[in-house]
Amino acid sequence: MDQKTTKQKNIHNVLYWGLPVLAVALIVVGWIAFSGAHPELMPSPLQVWQRFLKTFTKPIAKTTLLGHAWASLRRVLLALLVSWAFGISFGILIGWNKKARAFFGSIFEVIRPIPPIAWIPIIIMWFGIGEFPKILLVFIGTFVPLVINTSTGIEMVDRINIHVGRIFGGNDGQILKDIVIPTALPSIFAGIRTSVSSGWTTVLAAEMLGANAGLGSLVTRGWQGSDLSLVMVAVITIAIIGALLSTILQKLEKVVCPWND
Amino acid sequence: MQGEDSRPIKVEVKNLTKRFGDLLVLDDMSFNIRKGEFVCVVGPTGCGKSTFLNCLTRIHMPSEGDLFIDGVPADPRKHNISFVFQEPSALPWLTVEDNIAYGLKIKRLPQEEIKARVDQILDLMGLQESRKSYPGELSVSGEQRIIIGRSFAMKPDLLLMDEPYGQMDVKMRFYLEDEVVRLWKELGSTVIFITHNIEEAVYLAEKVMILTNKPAKIKEEVMIDLPRPRDITDPKFIEYRNYITDKIKWW
Repeated sequence: MDQKTTKQKNIHNVLYWGLPVLAVALIVVGWIAFSGAHPELMPSPLQVWQRFLKTFTKPIAKTTLLGHAWASLRRVLLALLVSWAFGISFGILIGWNKKARAFFGSIFEVIRPIPPIAWIPIIIMWFGIGEFPKILLVFIGTFVPLVINTSTGIEMVDRINIHVGRIFGGNDGQILKDIVIPTALPSIFAGIRTSVSSGWTTVLAAEMLGANAGLGSLVTRGWQGSDLSLVMVAVITIAIIGALLSTILQKLEKVVCPWND
Repeated sequence: MQGEDSRPIKVEVKNLTKRFGDLLVLDDMSFNIRKGEFVCVVGPTGCGKSTFLNCLTRIHMPSEGDLFIDGVPADPRKHNISFVFQEPSALPWLTVEDNIAYGLKIKRLPQEEIKARVDQILDLMGLQESRKSYPGELSVSGEQRIIIGRSFAMKPDLLLMDEPYGQMDVKMRFYLEDEVVRLWKELGSTVIFITHNIEEAVYLAEKVMILTNKPAKIKEEVMIDLPRPRDITDPKFIEYRNYITDKIKWW
């Protein structure tokens, strides 16, 4: 009986390790096949690898690939820091305080559906194409999911838990800090995850429209110079960094919200 | 049936009345509870038992009359009132020990005192091994035990329990009833325990208060003069049970 379950476990382990590997292998095989059949449409993995190495020996716009990746990452992180501070506070405010919700709620509902990229023309007109407008754009793109998730989490707090705090004689501040915010924490974290991925998307869009450094600028440069290998190098780097950020956040969530398994 | 009780009066309820608009739910209830007394409140379903408790905890303010603890109007900030809800109300983000310490931290007790009380409760309830677990990792009855531990840890002036075992099977209920009696005896808390289960009331209480149908009044107070641990098959136990059942049936 025990042997059987161990065996089943082993099969499961192999299966759940094997399936993702198989998926990636299939993509690579498809890529090789497609680039072999249409070399004008798609560079081969080998060509992309060589182009990747070249970004270090022959920097683009005086910057290596790592420099470009850092330029994008720095913009996202700066914007995220501001956005986390303001978005979470604002979310708590409109989730907790009915008057604040009545006042800001309607404005927010109007602004909310506008995709961040739609702000690009206005922001370029007002602030040019320097560093600030890019960070501002990422801020806009990350602020919205944070506010929505935080305020929803706060509104979802169980009345009974608030009663618990009140009966023990907790004041409003203690109830907000000890009961309401912890209730909303998993939801706030979901907002943080969404904000990171939408921040990463927005920064690339912003860079594609005019930047000297950044992964988005590499995509545009490759595209305009018909250097598809460079486009692929940039796209894969974007994917890897995105995946890394999401893994880090997942681990962090386990540390911050250990009860939420 | 019982000798004169010499314990001082702890809780005094005077003319407690609660209306929701035109609907009268609690009608001029007055009673006293002595320090360290275990009182069970029984009454027909929907008679206003929960409203009664909510007035005592100040979740609702009474329309007239008031509740006094040690002669002073009750105030959750000043007095130590604990409540065990019918529904599980452990805070899911706190471990078992932090849940038990929660009320003590709000009251800003010294660290050593909090630690000592949490340890005492964990010992009394046999929860030492799961002190670092989260409520979600325990069973429903385990979660309810945390809440009961949390309430007793406060060494409350008044501990209110609203059908805390309503959701549990018979075996678990007997076990937890004994546990509550043990905690009560050890800590000397004053307890008001609401239940619709008459057997449970006779098993636990020193005094059973029988409420009338809505609007609720106190129909009768019955002193239960039986030794502990009580035996539910004892003819005297059954006599009490039948007497109270009749009182609830007859309007």
